[in-house]
Amino acid sequence: MREPGTLRLFKRGPSIEVRLVLLLAACLALIVTDAHWPVLNPVRQALSTAIYPFQRVVLAPREAMEYVNSWSHAAALAREEQDALRRQQIEMAQLVTHAAQLTTENEQLRRLLNVSESISQQSVAVEVFYVPPNAFSHRLIFNKGSDAGIAPGMPVIDEGGVVGQIIHVTPFTSEAALLIDDQVSIPVQVLRNGLRLIAFGSDEVGKLEVRYLTANMDVQAGDTLVTSGIGGLFPAGLSVGRVDKVDRDPGTGFAVAVAEPLSHPERYRHFLVLRVDVSKEPKSEEIERALGDQ
Amino acid sequence: MPLVTSKRPAGGSSLMSLQPVDAAPFHRPSSAVLVWGTLLLVWLASLLPWRLWQPVPDLLVLVLAFWCLHEPGRVGLLTAFVLGLLMDVHDSGLLGLHALNYVLCAYGVLRLHRRLQHFNVWVQTLHVLPVFVLAALVPRLLGAWLNGEWVGWDWLWAALITGALLPLADVLLLLPQRRLDGDDVGAV
Repeated sequence: MREPGTLRLFKRGPSIEVRLVLLLAACLALIVTDAHWPVLNPVRQALSTAIYPFQRVVLAPREAMEYVNSWSHAAALAREEQDALRRQQIEMAQLVTHAAQLTTENEQLRRLLNVSESISQQSVAVEVFYVPPNAFSHRLIFNKGSDAGIAPGMPVIDEGGVVGQIIHVTPFTSEAALLIDDQVSIPVQVLRNGLRLIAFGSDEVGKLEVRYLTANMDVQAGDTLVTSGIGGLFPAGLSVGRVDKVDRDPGTGFAVAVAEPLSHPERYRHFLVLRVDVSKEPKSEEIERALGDQ
Repeated sequence: MPLVTSKRPAGGSSLMSLQPVDAAPFHRPSSAVLVWGTLLLVWLASLLPWRLWQPVPDLLVLVLAFWCLHEPGRVGLLTAFVLGLLMDVHDSGLLGLHALNYVLCAYGVLRLHRRLQHFNVWVQTLHVLPVFVLAALVPRLLGAWLNGEWVGWDWLWAALITGALLPLADVLLLLPQRRLDGDDVGAV
């Protein structure tokens, strides 16, 4: 404690080396803890909530510019969209009648088989708030959070299919890991033959991969992967990716299928978060059945 | 007292022609508002999406290192740690990677600052470049170890560009002081 007005002749407090060692130890502890356990999530959440007002203020000019821009092109944009929608409507009309028939038929069959009926999901439309600059991971920050009912674990989709999964939320923002992020794994099914697999983010940039395929597994280039619905988080039947190639490693006997995601998170600003029940644990018999099938 | 008068002219315009006895520029502390204001401003600017383009310099660590060099009493390791942590949260990376980078950088500059006071800004830049590179290398190595992948060499160029921008920071951030010095040597 220094009296006000007295000369400060000597530096007080611990030396710079002591402070360095303490802070380095803190950094290392934080890094290693954060890499392995989710215990730091409350800290991260508190800090992101604290910096949220600053982010909003800083990004406000961009949003204002986009708003003005959208107004100035409003007429042309609306006409263009209308044309596209009309075309789409005509194309969809046929599909819709077909789908309606299939849905009734499917419901009948499900009732016959005594399978619980699939429930239509509630969803939240979100917009990209910003893209975090991070060399190690592929993430998006959205402009809605737990206040809008978003919770970690919920899937994010666009018109192409699954985009990723929510991993952190604050009251006003949420963070999604994209499919190509190595933290995400997603239960998939080969559309052609129903083979159940798990897809992961790949080391190859912008790709997915299915690892440890044995020789008897029938996966070919060109196969479409859709979500299998196992695990309860991702609803079944959403498209995930298309297999580019299958690399067989004669050394281990396993093969790796590399797939290209069908969703395009880099092209759009708006996405849909499906509000699935994230508290639901995957049923163990479901997993066993899936593994037994392989 | 002729000596005192020649050193500290009273501020009158007739005295402006007098030459000071000691021509070496003396150190005038930058105002706290300038130090914290620029740090806040650059931190806010770092929240904008321009950092997605690689290799882009990390202006926050540049300003931080600059103030460590010129105002080691105000800005130190703890400032570096806190700013680094905030950047980690914004970038949604592992908590502590940026903090590690910034703390190492601040330490390197603080260790060098007594020695660097005697040099001009170009020599300071040469000294600071390896500090920036080493401080950026350590978190990359740690990240590569924990994530199991190497991120490439973009960060090296980013660190070198950041270091090379020190003369620019010197011109811009010491502008208020230089203007004061040029205006009137006596007025403090």
